[in-house]
Amino acid sequence: MILEARDLNYYYQDGDMRRYILKDTSVSFEKGKFYTILGQSGSGKTTLLSLLSALDSPHSGTILFNDQDIKQIGYENYRRNHVGIIFQSYNLIPTFTAVENVLIPMSITENEVPEDQKTVAYNLLDYIGIVKSKADRTVNKLSGGEQQRVAIARALATNVELIVADEPTGNLDEEMEQEIIDIFKRLAHEHNKCVIVVTHSNEIALQSDQSFLLRKGVLTANE
Amino acid sequence: MNFLKRGLLGITRKKGKSLILLAVIFVLGNLISGATAIQQATVNVETNIKERMGALATIQYDYEELDQLSEEEWMEIEWQNIGPDLIEQVGELSYVKYYDYNMTNYLGSNSIESYQGDVEEVVHHIGPSMDFYMKGINYAPVLDFEEGKGQLVDGRVFTEEEVKNGSSVAIISKKLADRNNLQVGDNFTLVNEVYFWDYETGEEEIVASRDVVLEIIGLFESLTLNEDMEMDDGFIDWMDLDYQNTIYVPNAIVINETEFYYEEYIKADKEYAESIAGEAIDYEYYEPMFVLNSPEDSEAFAEEVKPLLPQYYTVISATDQYDNIAGPVESMSNLSKYVLIAAAIATILIIGLVVLLFLRDRKRELGIYLSLGESRGKVIGQILIEVMVVAFVGITLSLFSGNMMAGSISESMMKVDDQDYYHDYMYYGFNNDITTEDVIDAYEVTFDSTYILVFYGIGLLTILLSTIIPLVYIVRLNPKKILME
Ligand SMILES: Nc1ncnc2c1ncn2[C@@H]1O[C@H](COP(=O)(O)OP(=O)(O)OP(=O)(O)O)[C@@H](O)[C@H]1O
Ligand SMILES: [Mg+2]
Repeated sequence: MILEARDLNYYYQDGDMRRYILKDTSVSFEKGKFYTILGQSGSGKTTLLSLLSALDSPHSGTILFNDQDIKQIGYENYRRNHVGIIFQSYNLIPTFTAVENVLIPMSITENEVPEDQKTVAYNLLDYIGIVKSKADRTVNKLSGGEQQRVAIARALATNVELIVADEPTGNLDEEMEQEIIDIFKRLAHEHNKCVIVVTHSNEIALQSDQSFLLRKGVLTANE
Repeated sequence: MNFLKRGLLGITRKKGKSLILLAVIFVLGNLISGATAIQQATVNVETNIKERMGALATIQYDYEELDQLSEEEWMEIEWQNIGPDLIEQVGELSYVKYYDYNMTNYLGSNSIESYQGDVEEVVHHIGPSMDFYMKGINYAPVLDFEEGKGQLVDGRVFTEEEVKNGSSVAIISKKLADRNNLQVGDNFTLVNEVYFWDYETGEEEIVASRDVVLEIIGLFESLTLNEDMEMDDGFIDWMDLDYQNTIYVPNAIVINETEFYYEEYIKADKEYAESIAGEAIDYEYYEPMFVLNSPEDSEAFAEEVKPLLPQYYTVISATDQYDNIAGPVESMSNLSKYVLIAAAIATILIIGLVVLLFLRDRKRELGIYLSLGESRGKVIGQILIEVMVVAFVGITLSLFSGNMMAGSISESMMKVDDQDYYHDYMYYGFNNDITTEDVIDAYEVTFDSTYILVFYGIGLLTILLSTIIPLVYIVRLNPKKILME
């Protein structure tokens, strides 16, 4: 069990009322598996991912990483060393090149990073389908799909065991979508990582090792 | 790609924004730089001039206060002299380096002639004139010499014994001695004559007279003749002549002669004798002079002394006149103060606004760095580097141009004021001849290290604050909130 959420509660205060997005939700994830989370728009998928990646904190409940509360690990520390995040909207630094964007987390993390960071970054981008000529472009000169790949490469740069992705294929055509999904599968099955992907797509869900459905603030296994 | 490198890269990658920021800082920097330069120069001129005015202070009647009294109030004043006890009490204060108090009188002579300038011109007298200014002293080394008004060139100063006993010894000027072929060790004779003017006959007669024989123990030369102030109106000449004919003696000599004069006079003037019958007459009237450790002590010294003084007395300091003669500089100082305050406020607002706009685009970026696990401190550090490097360049540029501007602005402003003030204020209360012209001459927009430090300090601090405050405001949120907005 690499990641476990226990009794998560998250709500927005609406006047006197609390509108719960997550209500006593518990879930656990293992290494070497590819997970998908399905749910209607507005059901709270992004909210859940942001809690799992310590971008935000729940109102109550705990999240354990390798059996340790991430509060104890420290949110900043946890984000820096243990989780790779792929955002729905890429969130790359627009003034920097693709390879520079991949280099950034390498300089932040305390994980062991190979000496020759630049070569590693180029190789990583190449592996994900960004050739060198594109890797040296500032990212706002790349297509949406290309930016999505750079975002994935960035999440992999620190060699973490846990990858969370928020609709990583939302802007891609079917062919590219499948390529990306294949990458995620490889990361889980060949590199023994835990990959959690939020998606709208049932097809993707079908390819995952386990799929969850988020409804009315509760996460249930999707059979 | 650590935060330092990212910060520096950020400057070159966003040239347009960096240039806008640079331009804004440069323009505002010129304002602040100019105003600080002027401010700094006015402070310098004040210390410089006050230094030259000297750290002198005395106790006098507060004529301003007396002026305001009604006639009835005047009648009720009990005139009190400042006695040695009070003077010594004040003299013991820590601000005082040394002090003296003087009783003075004019005497004439039948045997020696006063010094009347270098031109050998025969001066005819009918009877002895009162040419000699007897200055009694209590401070044996002579305060005027210590303070550089005069300089002992031959013989010695007084001993404590001579001062205490009121010995008949004197220090006279070299010029006076030369004129009368006198040397150290010689005796000379002054005469104390009591005149009475008869109302009925309209004639003046000498009713009493006695000789005052003094031994010369030292000769002095005047040091106050100001070379570049030799004006043809003869004013300075007169001041100097007065000093050349000054005779330093122990206070007791002057007191004795004054006492003799009044006692004889009262014998002659029956009317006056009746009007003061029964009153004890105090012949001692001292002018105290305190030399303070530093001109900056003047205010504190006055504060401490005033409560000790009898009514209607006040402390006058040599530096008091600074305000009178420093008109043009003061107006520059005031103007620059307002400009500085206005510029500082404008800078904080404008830089704050520009930085805020600058940051608004960057907000998402800040959120991304935080989501990658970067510490808040380093995220702030990165943006600070971007802003501060640009600010540093802008400030450095404006430091030079603003200083040049300040120089030419003050030059033209001083010229206008020059004519208004120069002749209006000449103040010789302490026998120093510092005028508005000296103040203007001492005013100089310089480029000293204090100025540069002050300027960088104010400039960088302003920009630092206007950057850090909004940054902290953003970064205190969690990454999700930052990225969502
Ligand atoms: N600041 C806010 N104040 C109140 N409600 C909010 C706020 N932000 C988000 N919400 C609500 O929280 C709910 C969950 O949002 P979330 O972004 O997690 O949904 P989602 O499942 O990711 O949706 P989508 O599939 O469209 O991305 C939504 O109903 C949204 O309206
Ligand atoms: Mg979402």
